[in-house]
Amino acid sequence: MDADAILELRSLKAGYATNAGFVRAVDDVSLTLKRGEFLGIAGESGCGKSTLAYSIMRLLRDNARIESGSILFDGTDITSLNEKAMNEYRWTKMAMVFQSAMNALNPVLSIEEQLIDAVLAHKQVSRAEAKKTAIEMLELVDINPERISSYPHQLSGGMRQRVMIAMALLLKPSLLIMDEPTTALDVVVQRSILQKIEELRHIFGFSVIFITHDLSLLVEISDSLAIMYAGKICEYGPSREIYASPNHPYTKGLMNAFPTLTGPMSRMGGIEGQAPSLLAPPPGCRFAPRCASAVEACTTAVPMLRTTSPGRLCACRLCGGNHE
Amino acid sequence: MPAGFAEAIMNNVILELKGVSKHFTLSGIRNIGKVVHAMDDVSFSLNKGESLALVGESGSGKTTTASVIAGMYEKTSGEIYLDGQPVLPFKTREASLRYKKKVQMIFQDPFASLNPTHTIRSILERPFLIHKLAGSAQELEAMLSDSLEMVGLSPAQEYLHRFPHELSGGQRQRVNIARTFAVSPEVILADEPTSMLDVSIRIGIMNMMLDLKEKKNVSFLYITHDLAGARYMSTKIAVMYAGMIMEIGPTEEVIANAVHPYVQLLKASAPAPQEGVRKSAIPAKGEIPSLVNPPLGCRFHTRCPYAKKICSEAVPAMRDIGNGHLVRCVLV
Repeated sequence: MDADAILELRSLKAGYATNAGFVRAVDDVSLTLKRGEFLGIAGESGCGKSTLAYSIMRLLRDNARIESGSILFDGTDITSLNEKAMNEYRWTKMAMVFQSAMNALNPVLSIEEQLIDAVLAHKQVSRAEAKKTAIEMLELVDINPERISSYPHQLSGGMRQRVMIAMALLLKPSLLIMDEPTTALDVVVQRSILQKIEELRHIFGFSVIFITHDLSLLVEISDSLAIMYAGKICEYGPSREIYASPNHPYTKGLMNAFPTLTGPMSRMGGIEGQAPSLLAPPPGCRFAPRCASAVEACTTAVPMLRTTSPGRLCACRLCGGNHE
Repeated sequence: MPAGFAEAIMNNVILELKGVSKHFTLSGIRNIGKVVHAMDDVSFSLNKGESLALVGESGSGKTTTASVIAGMYEKTSGEIYLDGQPVLPFKTREASLRYKKKVQMIFQDPFASLNPTHTIRSILERPFLIHKLAGSAQELEAMLSDSLEMVGLSPAQEYLHRFPHELSGGQRQRVNIARTFAVSPEVILADEPTSMLDVSIRIGIMNMMLDLKEKKNVSFLYITHDLAGARYMSTKIAVMYAGMIMEIGPTEEVIANAVHPYVQLLKASAPAPQEGVRKSAIPAKGEIPSLVNPPLGCRFHTRCPYAKKICSEAVPAMRDIGNGHLVRCVLV
């Protein structure tokens, strides 16, 4: 394992047992996250990005499981840890900010109770000390410490999401996973939350995995970018480079799906069709049925994620590299 | 606006709002006398074949505006004109139908706006039956096929017998759009029609709406929270904040030279990958105020980095800064 890596996924497969069969939502995903790196994972609903996040936290639902592959956190494979050992990782070493802060906070407990709970569950400190930590963290996310006795319904959506971020950072984890943390928020509030994350990252130096469907946002804030489609990573590389010259036809389609605020206005294309069902994914490249440049070979053999240029990977037989 | 210019475009105006307000009275013993100022002094006009984008954050009153125009809510004050005629409370079912044949709405959530127990056929034939547009069963059949094929659901026979749950979100929104266009309306109120859809299919739906707008020469009121999407869809843009229009004008002009501090903030907050560098901090403080007790004076002054004493004293009037560009700010 790379000594510089905080997290490494190796051929991770995870999915859900449903009445209709097994849905493999994460299919053979390998990724490396360096210390202090900001990785963006972009994809549409159902592409497996949230399943990937929940797999790393080992918080998958009852009908879901990690099938195979490994998750190395600081060199330790956490897929084989028991619940007790895993609890020493969760929140202390890796924490998560969930998509809907409205539902993630307990409505009948005050913010104070919930923050103190999180500290006491993982750390042997006094209640007074836990409260002190909670207040410090609230101040860092620009929430007046007087609001600590508030209940979630007394806070706005943006404030609740900031409380979630404060809660995730209470024990100074080295990895923060954020699953669509700003999707339910207005654009001005979203911007202030993103600025706050950047600021906190400079203070604490944690690594971030930021999951969203909003590619334009990711290009702006992340160091590297993984594009997911139907359970697989189809392109990976530095954000700026992918934005400047996307390789995979799906990435190209996504880049051409966001109108811009500046520059000339031209008709955009988007992508025809819809993502395949993961119950019975198409043989070969999963994007082939929607891909305008697909050739016959695309529909028979699955293209591997291969290096196309230093630091850049692409899973398409049309973008160079050896895919056999 | 100069008088001559106003005259010139007069004949072309299909929908006009003059100082329209909508206040909701709160219920409950603790809320006696309290009203929500959801929409205050909203004025704009929509030309034939024009697309006006109404942009704002949640709670800014944009959906209320569409609902008032659609006749779902009774306005509290102000005037609405359709084709130069004042829109009055409907006294008869006929009057209501006449209006609704001209003004139709596309709803935000394609998962909630189609009845799950009805087939696409029964959902789609209702506008034709209610407005008595088909002379015979064959004619109805042809109309159903045409409207589905118009929105790219082809062959129509494949879709008519299906239920909404058998369609994807994008297909459902296409059915919604087909239903909206069924009565050949003159004005379409599109309330965030793509915000619930996956990013890769949004542009497809937007393109389809633009094409249909051209083909059928309808006017669009396109409601969105996405400034870049508004730019793609419209020629004129109105930005709402806390129930009031803050800035209105030609889309390119407003986006390139935003004058109102709120519109500048909105612009600075939008993701901008093409700028290539992470932008510096924006002076975003606070959040949208309560509409039960909206701030006195300018509704944005509580968050405005340039606010002066005068801003908290009186509501600024809309001021014309030329070229049909109007701004509600005393500092301009």
